Amino acid sequence: MGVKGLWWKVAGVIIFIFVLIGGLCVPLRPGVTSSQPANAKNGDTLFMNVIGYNTHFSTAQNHRAWLKLDSIHAIAAKDFFGKNENEAVITFYLPKDLPTSAKVRPLTLIVDNELDGAFVQPNALFLTIEDNPTHSSSSWTQADLTNLSVASGLKFPYRNILNETIRNTFFHVALWFAMFILLIAGLYHAIMYLRTGDYDHDIQSASFNRIAILYGVLGLLTGSVWAKFTWNTFWTTDVKLNMTAIAMLIYLAYLVLRGSSADHDRRAKLAASYTIFAFIALIPLVFVIPRMTDSLHPGNGGNPALGGEDLDHTLRLFFYPSIIALSLLGTWMASLLIRYERLKEKIFLKS
Amino acid sequence: MNNLLKIKKFVATIIIMMANIDLVSGQNYPSDFLRSTGKIYSVALVIAIIFIGIVFFLFRLDNKLTKLENHIKNEQ
Repeated sequence: MGVKGLWWKVAGVIIFIFVLIGGLCVPLRPGVTSSQPANAKNGDTLFMNVIGYNTHFSTAQNHRAWLKLDSIHAIAAKDFFGKNENEAVITFYLPKDLPTSAKVRPLTLIVDNELDGAFVQPNALFLTIEDNPTHSSSSWTQADLTNLSVASGLKFPYRNILNETIRNTFFHVALWFAMFILLIAGLYHAIMYLRTGDYDHDIQSASFNRIAILYGVLGLLTGSVWAKFTWNTFWTTDVKLNMTAIAMLIYLAYLVLRGSSADHDRRAKLAASYTIFAFIALIPLVFVIPRMTDSLHPGNGGNPALGGEDLDHTLRLFFYPSIIALSLLGTWMASLLIRYERLKEKIFLKS
Repeated sequence: MNNLLKIKKFVATIIIMMANIDLVSGQNYPSDFLRSTGKIYSVALVIAIIFIGIVFFLFRLDNKLTKLENHIKNEQ
């Protein structure tokens, strides 16, 4: 094998190294880990202890903070004291009068400084309304929520609960995408085998499917680990998990089926037909059913998956290369299997 | 027998050293290392699993090739 056949393997390795280094070294944007107290009454003076992540509460100079009620109503902080880089006490005077008549209202905390940019903690405070407040919004409309700072540099989004595990997008999610690409290659060769009867297509189809199944099993395992640290359980009853598990079982049955028959011709025909069946079964299981009900996965139950805030441009910068790299590495592994099977075929045909 | 004793001593030394590193560094590790702020170590675990998967593939292929080599050897 010369340099000609090597370039895509080298490309796969280099791209994967790029994803590893970039995906692990790019810092997260600042965010709020927690804030205390969680409850307050109208009319209170509130000293809010805020714990930040990757923040610069003591080195930044121009701190601003708001508690936001809805799109037009907010109050500005009276005082901001940064204890250290990640801890601050923000003072708010909660007005007695309110624009709404609801009993309890969640407030969103917005913190802004010139180094960290603006970041948000949704439902940071639950405001309990007592003593028949006057319905006036005058004190809630003076907050100047304009000219928010924007942090410079390449940074991944900060998400509560997810935190640093957002980097798993490049490994866990990309693994599934790469699996899908390998399965399509397996499907293509299965169809080509049925059309031409060329035994080499059977070898290629089986090899691509095997690596795809390996990726699928790794996808389930890595997903399980990710779930343990975000959803606090290795396995939930989430539709996407169960449907994917069923799809993987269908594909595991493929391995059993291929190993079951000694007759080459029969085995190849069975395996090729089964590949088509399994792939067709995979589409509703993974792409249709999880979208019809609620799911913890993005892209299901009405959430957009590859658009909006779930996958912003900084994540895309490493997510798409990761899919390419894992597909190339998978193709490499499959090609090793293919070459082994071809050799075996030659040797056993001789004897 | 002598060897076994040596190994035991070695393992004991390693364990004591590891325990000491914890004391010397004087850091208060969170009750669950993997769940510590930011959960970055779970990302490491995910990458490790993918690596183990690829190594698993290499071992399987290694075994298969050894069998094929043995087959060729026996024929000659």
